[in-house]
Amino acid sequence: ANMKLILIFSALIGASLCLETFVGHQVLRIKTKNEEEVKQLQLLESLEHLELDFWINPSAPALPVDVRIPAVSVQSVKAFLESQGIEYSILIEDLQDVLDKEQQDMAESAQRQRSSSSFDFGAYHALDDINNELDHLASEYSFVEKIQIGESYEKRPLYVLKFSTGGSNRPAIWLDAGIHSREWVTQASALWIANKIASDYGTDASITSLLDKMDLFLLPVANPDGFVYTHTSNRMWRKTRSKIPGSICVGVDPNRNWDAGFGGPGASSKPCSDSYRGPRANSEVEVKSVVDFITNHGNFKAFLTLHSYSQLLMYPYGYKCTRPDDYAELESLGRAAASSIQSLYGTTFQVGTICKTIYQASGGSIDWSYDNGIKYSFAFELRDTGRYGFLLPANQIIPAAKETWLGLKKIMEHV
Amino acid sequence: ELPPSHFSAGRAAAVAVGYLRYLRGGPGQGLELRALRRARRQDINDVGHKYYLELELEDVLDKGRTVNCTAEVLYHLGSKGTAPDVQATVQGELRSTEEADKEFYHRIRSLEKELVAENIPDSQGNVPPELEPIHLLAWAASGYVIWQNSTENTKFHLAQVKHVKQVKRSDEDLQFDYVLLLHEMVSQEVIPWEVTVLWHPQRGARVPRDRRQPGHA
Repeated sequence: ANMKLILIFSALIGASLCLETFVGHQVLRIKTKNEEEVKQLQLLESLEHLELDFWINPSAPALPVDVRIPAVSVQSVKAFLESQGIEYSILIEDLQDVLDKEQQDMAESAQRQRSSSSFDFGAYHALDDINNELDHLASEYSFVEKIQIGESYEKRPLYVLKFSTGGSNRPAIWLDAGIHSREWVTQASALWIANKIASDYGTDASITSLLDKMDLFLLPVANPDGFVYTHTSNRMWRKTRSKIPGSICVGVDPNRNWDAGFGGPGASSKPCSDSYRGPRANSEVEVKSVVDFITNHGNFKAFLTLHSYSQLLMYPYGYKCTRPDDYAELESLGRAAASSIQSLYGTTFQVGTICKTIYQASGGSIDWSYDNGIKYSFAFELRDTGRYGFLLPANQIIPAAKETWLGLKKIMEHV
Repeated sequence: ELPPSHFSAGRAAAVAVGYLRYLRGGPGQGLELRALRRARRQDINDVGHKYYLELELEDVLDKGRTVNCTAEVLYHLGSKGTAPDVQATVQGELRSTEEADKEFYHRIRSLEKELVAENIPDSQGNVPPELEPIHLLAWAASGYVIWQNSTENTKFHLAQVKHVKQVKRSDEDLQFDYVLLLHEMVSQEVIPWEVTVLWHPQRGARVPRDRRQPGHA
């Protein structure tokens, strides 16, 4: 009874403040079985003091009746229906909750629209939309260029965004995402990061001084065939989609296919395995294209790659469990980057060599880059630690991208 | 003594958490590892490897609160066959699930048609609120499978509930037949696993039947 009084009072006060509130209002769906029940509902409809709001009016037995009931009347209407044996279900438990959520969603979406000219960085996108956004960024910013470094197995272009404010073959930083296609937060974060760098050049001191001295090359979808497959067929697909001679199984693990300890422990020789290394190093065109591009460029200083999940920040080696020559510097830089990441939302990343932190794994990309003279080689495993794993909710994309960006920036500033 | 960031400590912790999820988890509570504070490893001749762990746990539905836990995980020599032995002591209490459990129990019992659902979470990570208890119950069930099938060379997580079907029973238990996708971190395989779960508010979760789904995913 107290609840009712409170509700009546707040409704009255709300009304007097011209604030219509739907706290405690329920929307029921009523399934009438015959004409008699329809008539009962029409009787109910005529009782104006109940202030029932029929979203679908009672007309014929075959059609459902949806009605919004103010909080004060909910119990009595339900009692009436039950006493008449009329079936109903609750469509909306509390209308105000739904409205509040809707307002929140719209405000968030509007804010995202304002700050990103209609590409929603806080949502997951399919390949075509991502490629369109790359075009958009390239056309909007003079120092951003979309280049193609090769083609996937199924002939999809491998697009890289080149950030360059001038010079000729400046020292460069490499960043890739989505080499394992099911790790969706990585491609999504890469897009956010691309937009962040592009829009903050000129205003953010750190990004401006970085791009004034160095170039950045960003490959947001390193495995487009696998990525499309996760959208069309199997959300858990990891590998490329190349046909393997002599096997019914498809695909190679692109992060076991690099020429670094290739064939060693930590990669499978079985084509059906999710960590199949491939018939030989660089057999995968997705890997070969990057190798050729970086080798021909000749002036890369950092190689950074995004994976998920586990929240780890790792440096070489994976193919062997000995420390790299630059262990002290990489460990220290890794810790500093992890600290930056943590400063934003408290997300903790463990730091260490691949071999000690996750497992021994041969044929990995950062081992190759390190052994080819690119000292600052790091692999990130982004959110989370297993609650959602690969299926990270979209509302965590931007937080994940933001914190990761802080870690990347820390490393880039040091390079 | 092991650094908590070392992979072997993390793998043992995952076994302990799986075991605890099975014992204490249910539709109203999602036990998760907040942090691994300390880890020690002891090699016991002719027996196996024993890990001593200090863990901090939380309920994903009530993240403001954590409890501490000490656990021992013994992996037996010779990896095939025997599940690791786990002992765990939890200090303190997480929030009570009595209300939530009762509500879930009655909601499911009063369903006219048996519940059927798939892809929890969906591709974008969404879980409809009314299916969250089903998701958490799957977590508890996966805890059993993870505990029973772990070795020092594996680390399992529940990747997704591929399919779930309620089976009405004449006794007081609720029964759900799940197809779970388990992600094994070391091999990177995603393995479909058929798991039958019985659950009751007082008796908790039990897994009478489970099997790795034959054939390739």
